Amino acid sequence: MPDVPKNVAASASSVAIPLARRTKGEEERALVRLAQNGTEAAFEELIRRHQQRVFALVGSILRRREDVEDVAQQVFLKVFVSIKRFDLRSAFSTWLYKITVNECWDYLRKKKVRPLVYEADLSEEQVSRLDGIVSADRPVTGASEQAEVKETLDWLLEKLPEQDQQLLILKEMEGFSVQELAEILDLNVNTVKVRLFRARSRLMDVYRRRTNPGTTVKADAARAERKS
Amino acid sequence: MNRDYKTSACSEFEALLEDSVSGEIGGQDAVRLSQHLKGCAGCREALEYVALTPRLLRLAEPSADPGPGFARDVMARIRSDKDIRAEKSFWQPLVSMGWRFAATATLALALLVAYDSTSHVQQGVAGTLALEAAHIPDVFSPDPARVPASRDEVLMMVAENEHGNR
Repeated sequence: MPDVPKNVAASASSVAIPLARRTKGEEERALVRLAQNGTEAAFEELIRRHQQRVFALVGSILRRREDVEDVAQQVFLKVFVSIKRFDLRSAFSTWLYKITVNECWDYLRKKKVRPLVYEADLSEEQVSRLDGIVSADRPVTGASEQAEVKETLDWLLEKLPEQDQQLLILKEMEGFSVQELAEILDLNVNTVKVRLFRARSRLMDVYRRRTNPGTTVKADAARAERKS
Repeated sequence: MNRDYKTSACSEFEALLEDSVSGEIGGQDAVRLSQHLKGCAGCREALEYVALTPRLLRLAEPSADPGPGFARDVMARIRSDKDIRAEKSFWQPLVSMGWRFAATATLALALLVAYDSTSHVQQGVAGTLALEAAHIPDVFSPDPARVPASRDEVLMMVAENEHGNR
């Protein structure tokens, strides 16, 4: 039982199968049941297991680091209050991520703010450095290069529609599966795949425009074709 | 290079192209897509166009784990909220009793005001009737102007009557 704290395991004695012999899914359901019965240690364990993905999800929508923690805390408070109503028919993670998405949109609506917008343009150096890394297919080295790459990618992503940004960040940067994205966003799996593919194409349009300013990108060419 | 971006993928193959670009394709789907790609330049171009995106996006590190401090903070907030709720529940019976008392008092006051205003209206009606009654002439009483004041007047009235009868 590598990930489960002793106090949670002790609380699980009332459940038929010991936590150690369960699969990950069963273990999580047992934790949820314990949390529903008021075992705080079980709820704390659920937070630990999901906090990173909740942070990633909130971050992909809000893009403001200082707000991310507040909203993530609010998400877990809401989950704590309503966990007794969770009927275990779906995965706990799906239910939690849906609450997270709703909380983010509520937050944006209440605060009347849009997700972070980058006003400043990228420098030529930043663009060529990113292109160099991608072309050479080499890993990013050092904290400063990582920070610069992140800033450049954020700038590129910010030029896309919000849903495209969210899908690409969650799928490629945060490792959510297509199935998970479909459940979180209440979409059909095929729809998610199609939207992801189009989002990639749009991202490449922005990237090509920035790395080769003279280039006519796919979208421009298609537009020109439609006009003719 | 521009020529490569003119065509787009066939819409019915976009989902499979996404599977392919993210490396999640296999079995029958892989065979079907590969057969389609042999004869469809548009889909080949579209796939080639986006092939760089996984590498580009994975350059950024995923969000950092907030650490155990986050879970502790959330639990502390939950406990403090619980304390607030518990404190509220200690005073709750008194508060609800106070509200009930206030509601009863308001109702009683409203009834009193209603009763008071109703009795005032009734009194007003009675007064008005009395006033109006004072102004109605008494048709059953004899006209004081027609009552004889002396014996001569009586005789005069009798004479007039007799004259009229004739």
